[in-house]
Amino acid sequence: MRHESSSYPLWLRCWHWSNALLFVTLLVTGLSMHYAQIGPRPLGFRSDVLIHNTAGILLTLFYGLFLYGNLRLGNGRYYRIVPGDFEPGLIRQIRYYLWGIFVRSPHPYPHSEERKFNPLQKMFYLVVMYLLFPVMTVTGWALLFPYRLPAEILGVPGIGLWALGHTYIGFLLSLFMVVHIYLGTTGPTLGTLFRFMLYSHAEPEPASTAHGPGSAGRPGSHDEVPVTVPKEHT
Amino acid sequence: MRAAGTIVLLLSGAILSVQTSMAQTGEQEPPCMECHRPRDTTIDPVRFARSVHAKLDCADCHTEGFSKFPHTSSRAGMPDCIDCHSGSVSPTIDFDRIAQGVKGSVHVKLVDPAFRCTNCHSPHSFIPASRMTDASEVIDVSNKSCLGCHAAGDSPSGKQLAFRQLAEKHRLFPHWELHIQRNACVACHTPRGQQSVHDILPKSEALRDCTVCHARNSLLVTKLYTHLALKERAEHGEVNAVLLNNAYVIGANRNRWLDWGTVGLAGLVILGIAAHGTGRWLVARLMRRS
Repeated sequence: MRHESSSYPLWLRCWHWSNALLFVTLLVTGLSMHYAQIGPRPLGFRSDVLIHNTAGILLTLFYGLFLYGNLRLGNGRYYRIVPGDFEPGLIRQIRYYLWGIFVRSPHPYPHSEERKFNPLQKMFYLVVMYLLFPVMTVTGWALLFPYRLPAEILGVPGIGLWALGHTYIGFLLSLFMVVHIYLGTTGPTLGTLFRFMLYSHAEPEPASTAHGPGSAGRPGSHDEVPVTVPKEHT
Repeated sequence: MRAAGTIVLLLSGAILSVQTSMAQTGEQEPPCMECHRPRDTTIDPVRFARSVHAKLDCADCHTEGFSKFPHTSSRAGMPDCIDCHSGSVSPTIDFDRIAQGVKGSVHVKLVDPAFRCTNCHSPHSFIPASRMTDASEVIDVSNKSCLGCHAAGDSPSGKQLAFRQLAEKHRLFPHWELHIQRNACVACHTPRGQQSVHDILPKSEALRDCTVCHARNSLLVTKLYTHLALKERAEHGEVNAVLLNNAYVIGANRNRWLDWGTVGLAGLVILGIAAHGTGRWLVARLMRRS
C-alpha cells in the first residue's frame, strides 16, 4: 500500500523540480559565458545571456513560492534547529555517511512526517536556501542593471565585485547540487528517493533491502508517525 | 558711508586682480590667441597645454598666410600631419601603418578621398593613448572623435538625441547602453586580429562575435588597452591584468587562480563521490555473495 507523504506536497515537488531545471539551465549558460572562448556554445553567446537572465528571473519567482510555503504552508517547521541535539546529530549523521552506510547500520534519522531532514541536511539547506541563494539572487538582479552599479567599490570595478560574488557562489551552489544528486542515490535502490520526490509515494520495500539502513520496516523501528521513505538525503 | 567705501575698494581690487591675471596669461600665450581665444571654441588653452603639441608654436603648423589679418591661407594649404609624423616611433605606434589603415578605411573609400588625420584628431588637444593612465579616458577621447560626426547636433539636446539614435542601432548587444558608453567604437568597427584602430570598417563588416572580447585573450586588450596592457604586463606579468583592474567583461575577467581553485575543488568533490559510491557498490556486492 502506498502512503502519500504530507511533508512533500505537490507545490513543494513542483517547486523542487522547477528549481532543479532552472538551476541546471543557469549552470550551463553561466559556464558557457564564463568560459566563452573555450567551451562549446551551441546556442551562441547572446542566447546564453538571454536564457541565463530569464531563468534567473524565474528562479527568483520560484524562491518567492518557497518562502511563502515555508512561512504560510507549514514547510518552515522542518528547518527549525532543535537545541541540544543539533551538534551531536551532525556528528552522528557524518559518521553514518562515512561508515554506517557501508555496513548497513540503521539510518540515524529516518524520515517521518514530523522530521523530514537530518541535522546535516538541515544545516546545508539553511546555508544554501537562506544565505547563499539570497546572495546569489541579489547579485544576479544587480547584474541585470549593471549601469546602475557604482563604478568602483573598494578600488575594484563595481560590476566586477558583484560578478565575482555571483560567479563563485554559483560555483558553491553547483557543488551542493552535485552532492545533493549523489545522496539522492542512497535510498534502498538508486532511484527510490528520486521517485519519491516525484510522486511522494513510499514504495514497497524490496525484500533484499527491507532491513537496510533507515528502512521503514526495519526491526526495532517504532516510529509512531507514518514513515514514508526509507532514508533521507542531503 | 564708510561701509559703501569699503565695498567700492574691495570691488576695485577684485577687478584689478582679474585684469592683472588676464594680462599675465596673455603674455604667456602666443599672440594668435588674442583674437582666437574669445571666439574660437576649438582651442581650449587648458587642453592645448596638456596636448602633445603644447610645446609647438601656432606658426609651426599654420605656416603661410596666417601672419596677417585677414588670413590669406586656409586649412587645405596647411602641411599634413604625416609631414612630421612618419615611420615607427614605438612598438605600438607606426605612422606608416596608420596612414595605410586610414587609406583602407571606409572614411577614405566612401566618405572623402582626402580624409585627413585632423578630421578625427584635433591637433589642439590630441593626447596619444600611450600617455593616458586611465582606460576610461582612452575610451572617452577615442569615442569623442567618432561622435563628433556620428552624433552631431546643433545643440546639447540635439547631440543627445543623435547619440540616442546612434546607440539604439546597437541593440543587438545585451546591455547595449553599457557597451556604447564603456567601450570604444573602434574596438568593433576595425578589423579583428590587428592592433590598428584606423582602418574603420563599413557598418556591415563590424564585429558581431561577442566571444572575441568576452574571452581571456580579449580583443579589448590588443585594441583598447594596448599601451596599458604593455605596462601591466611589465608590472604584473599578465596581459589581462589591465582588464581585471579597469573593467568587468564576463569571460575576459577570469582570474586563473580562482578558476583553477574551482576546478580543483570540483575535482575533489567528484573524486570523493566516486570513492564513496564505489565503496557502497563493493560492500553491497560482497554482502550479496556472503
